Amino acid sequence: MSRWTLFFLVILLGLGLGLVYGWVINPVSYQDTTLNNLRIDYKTDYTLMVAEVYHQDNDLAWALNRLTLLEDPSPKTSVDNALRFASQADYTLPDMFLLRDLYNAIEGSE
Amino acid sequence: MDQNRGSWYLLTGLILGLAMGLIYTWVISPIKEVDTHPHLLREDYKDIYRALISRAYQANNNLPRAEARLELIGDEEPSLALAAQAQRYLAEGGDNEAAKVLANLSAALQSAAITAATPVPQSEEGSQKTPGEGTPSSSTPEEDQEEPAGNTPSPESEAPPAPTPSPTNSPPFILQDSSPICDPTLGESLIQIIATNGEGDGVPGVALEISLGPDLKEVFYTGLKPELGLGYADFLAEPGLTYTLKVPESGLEVPDIEMPTCVTDSEDSYWGSWEVYITHPN
Repeated sequence: MSRWTLFFLVILLGLGLGLVYGWVINPVSYQDTTLNNLRIDYKTDYTLMVAEVYHQDNDLAWALNRLTLLEDPSPKTSVDNALRFASQADYTLPDMFLLRDLYNAIEGSE
Repeated sequence: MDQNRGSWYLLTGLILGLAMGLIYTWVISPIKEVDTHPHLLREDYKDIYRALISRAYQANNNLPRAEARLELIGDEEPSLALAAQAQRYLAEGGDNEAAKVLANLSAALQSAAITAATPVPQSEEGSQKTPGEGTPSSSTPEEDQEEPAGNTPSPESEAPPAPTPSPTNSPPFILQDSSPICDPTLGESLIQIIATNGEGDGVPGVALEISLGPDLKEVFYTGLKPELGLGYADFLAEPGLTYTLKVPESGLEVPDIEMPTCVTDSEDSYWGSWEVYITHPN
């Protein structure tokens, strides 16, 4: 095997080791994430909080503003995702009603 | 000459490959962080999260649920974090209503902590639930990784909600005392307000206005410094000026507040402070 072939093989080996180290052993650690990066259960709880406030205040503009921060394609999508997760995770009926209420309000405003 | 080089070229290749791999994984294509936890949120998003938790608490009066949600943010002292955020909002001339809502939740947490520390008679103990019992995410953030925050029990199934301090539903405040004080340990001239109820407990969330002549100087609330008492609030006053304190919700006005001149034991003079005690009979 020529020196050049061996040289490139060793580079590939180093590259492989670098990829494993950088992606698996010591990946970049994020400390400053956004609401969009939240796991679905936390996003659902966030949406539920918005629904709880909306149920009390009936301020749809405020609710839409808060949901926009989740950076989903639309606020309606956020509530729809939350409803799907909530039904899978056996949220209680009152919470489901709150989410449904918010969803209907957004749909009605379109 | 080639033989002198030995196998160093292999080490060079390995280091080169490693460097390329690390640049690729750390700079060009780092792992996209998805499915994260609220305690990893950027500070401004944490503020949004706290504010939303406070508003949700105002809407549902469900303190265990609010506590469980605050736990997710990972503040060491959630009540202090809420109070600090409220103070920041007020200092920045931000949303007074949001500050009040934050202060209310902070005060409710402090009240709950005090209540929890108070011994409960045996007969009542059995009927009480501890805060966080049966709440969606009463687990620690770490535990929560395994169990989604989704199984949110209905508010009805949880402990009775803690009362939200609501000054508007209380009888109007009356002036108990308004007087100058000389306290060299304060280090600055303050108008200190202490709002209490009939039992002498501090009342948080009381809106206060300080004005200088016809000009409104500042709006602030009791309870923003929970470490000094739930009914405590203060305003940094400028000596030589005459202030008026108002409690708008009670129509109470305390005029002619001026910082007194005080003298220490060693005959040095300094500016004192002013204390105002307000209370409402229950």
